[in-house]
Amino acid sequence: MRIEIEDLHFTYPTGLEALRGISLTVDSGEQVAIIGQNGAGKTTLVKHFNGLLKPTSGSVRIGDWDTKEHSVAKLAKRVGYVFQNPDEQLFSKNVGTEVAFGPRNLGFNGEQVQALVKDALVLTELSDKTETNPYDLSSTWRKMIALASILSMDTDIVIFDEPTTGQDAMNVARIANVIKALRERGKTVITITHDIDFCAENFERVIALSQGKILLDGKANEVLGQEEILATTYVDPPQLTRLGKRLGFKETVRNENEFLAALKQ
Amino acid sequence: MNSLSIYVARESGLHTLNPITKFVLTLCVLFCGFTLPGIWTSYLILTFVIVPLAMWGKVTKRMIQLVIKISWPFILSVFIIQTLFWGQGTALFEIGPLAPKIEGGVFAFHSSGRILFIMADFILFSLTTRPDTLMISLKQGGLPSGLAYIIVTTLQLVPQFVLKANTILDAQRSRGLETQGNIIIRARALLPLVLPLVIGSLLEVEERAIAIEARAFNSKRVETSLLDIPDTQNQRYARIGLVLFTILLIAGRYIWLS
Amino acid sequence: MAIVNLHNVTYTYPLTKTPALQNINMQVDEGEFVAVIGPNGAGKSTLCYTLAGFVPHFFKGELTGSVEVAGQESSKSNLHEWVLNVGLAFQNPFNQISGAKYTVVEEIAFGLENTGVPRDEMKQRVTDAMKLTGISDLGDRSPYSLSGGQQQRVALTSILVMQPKVLVLDEPTSQMDPIGTREVFGVIRTMAEKGMTVVLVEHKVEWIANFADRVIALHEGQILLDGTPGDVLTSDLLAEKGFGISRYTSVARKAKESKLWKKDKLPVTLDEAVEGFDLTPHPSPRGRGK
Repeated sequence: MRIEIEDLHFTYPTGLEALRGISLTVDSGEQVAIIGQNGAGKTTLVKHFNGLLKPTSGSVRIGDWDTKEHSVAKLAKRVGYVFQNPDEQLFSKNVGTEVAFGPRNLGFNGEQVQALVKDALVLTELSDKTETNPYDLSSTWRKMIALASILSMDTDIVIFDEPTTGQDAMNVARIANVIKALRERGKTVITITHDIDFCAENFERVIALSQGKILLDGKANEVLGQEEILATTYVDPPQLTRLGKRLGFKETVRNENEFLAALKQ
Repeated sequence: MNSLSIYVARESGLHTLNPITKFVLTLCVLFCGFTLPGIWTSYLILTFVIVPLAMWGKVTKRMIQLVIKISWPFILSVFIIQTLFWGQGTALFEIGPLAPKIEGGVFAFHSSGRILFIMADFILFSLTTRPDTLMISLKQGGLPSGLAYIIVTTLQLVPQFVLKANTILDAQRSRGLETQGNIIIRARALLPLVLPLVIGSLLEVEERAIAIEARAFNSKRVETSLLDIPDTQNQRYARIGLVLFTILLIAGRYIWLS
Repeated sequence: MAIVNLHNVTYTYPLTKTPALQNINMQVDEGEFVAVIGPNGAGKSTLCYTLAGFVPHFFKGELTGSVEVAGQESSKSNLHEWVLNVGLAFQNPFNQISGAKYTVVEEIAFGLENTGVPRDEMKQRVTDAMKLTGISDLGDRSPYSLSGGQQQRVALTSILVMQPKVLVLDEPTSQMDPIGTREVFGVIRTMAEKGMTVVLVEHKVEWIANFADRVIALHEGQILLDGTPGDVLTSDLLAEKGFGISRYTSVARKAKESKLWKKDKLPVTLDEAVEGFDLTPHPSPRGRGK
């Protein structure tokens, strides 16, 4: 399922022009990270993908659907959106019911819902907590429940809004595993993140936004090596990329394997 | 909008008055307005009391804008209902079953005047008085600080609460929750929207309680205030004068009626 | 001179069975900058609350052992007096704004109003504190109109203006964007350099390595390690127990196995890593290092 955005402009009712002409295509199965300073338009852009915002001008197509013609609830069949704060969506008496909420809304039958829930719980390491009340669990697990409740919707496209903010190293690893599993299933994953190391290690394509426009869009290695340009939207390169540059590597490295390989040369 | 207050800062005499003076003034105008008879009274008070005060406070235009914005639906419905459903009376004209009565119109004119002057009275107060200054004055007069805190923070936090509710709405819609439609659909949407709002707010309240505790909110010492809210002897006399005048007016009206 | 002294402290929250803190023994000298790291649930927030007096006075529950901070002993003190010596700031800047004030200046003065400081002194202290934390230009703004980083700095200033002897910070940059993080770290660094005793809970290991005197690693309510940043942050134990470590450390550890890292000690910061990988270093174009 392709995402096609053509000359997207968006102005908030307050008069703030948040997006000033964005055009891009995301192919099925791509893993894309969107970076840039606060106010650059990242969340505004991504809210157009599931219809929470409709373009002021220009168009956003999810597959063959123009988002202007479909409600958010309808678009939820194709695009799942994981919000940043799990406490702003949890309301069920146990984890199982919570995770079943999404697929039930989408019209899956009882059996299908059960299977989807089971699968989502396995991916998020929550299988042993099905009967627990979400608020009896720590914030770490509530984050996983929020993830599971979108995964169970089995959408072709999944959006993550700042998934690693406030998470400890183990939970970041769990989230990375979820993204890896989505990649293996051919899902399109789009994330907004400030964690540039997490971005470097999990995403193939990086789009940097600045002041409502695309600053850079390309393969992770290419984009993340452009220190000067990234600095204009207040993004520091990943730790290993910086180290590689200081050591004089020819290629931009973005994870341990690439670093060690370059070191050996 | 960052808080429920519509306060606008201006360099004006009205703004420098003590908040309690303004509060007393607002209430006295209200009571006097209701006590005096006649369909024109409200309009007279608007023109000769409230508007001059607004001009003193340099907020005339804003006040009129807000009063019209808030009142027009009420005034429109009052006119329509009273003229069309006024029992026996003289009809202005007739179009099919519709026969608006003059008497209804007169009554609506009277009621509208009331709506307008009450709105203008309170809006003028809110435009020229920052809520926390009123609270500080009341605290100096003996209002418990816990109560003052709750009132002021509610004003500031309600818009934030609304923002949070909107985020929750977005999150649940993104999970396929339908929110538009018949009553059953809307009823089903209630729990997923209300519960996170309530629980989330409770969690925030606990954190805020810790934060203010960390700033000695429960200290047993006598409080001081950064802001100096001046009060003058003249204003004190004026307040007493206003209250007496209002009481006399109300008493006089009752005596005249009986 | 130890300004913080926790001796055999064990604490259990009400209605729970497992203690959140077990047998904590911890001393902090005046002017020391101690960082605390650990996975979620390790007891870091509970430790912060204990230092700030909220455990046990706000949360109730069972506390055994002795807690001494700035000459006060927990069991013999009131929370409203304790908070005057220990300042506490935490993750969410929005929840730390009192909500009772319409401008930043008044917000910062809130704590001073509550403790009965005379008006002239209040004004001076607020002005000085705002200069120290670099927010002098935000005085007339509404606290709710600020960015996350600005709000967090206002929260910090509101605590610092009360002149606490110890500053306890529970993940103050976790919810910040990179700019906000930089701003908040800037304030913390200023306070530490001025001699403030700081206890900082953080995940951002590289920054800690550059500025903290000491690191305590907390795991499941107990102190796992307590030592210099160089020792603690490169310990194999951290990696085993699932702590977040600097990528420089982890890549150097792997490089060591292939004999590409020749030093004994693993690096934590960028500069240490550059130095240790035996190549000719090229300075980065902007000479930047955190």
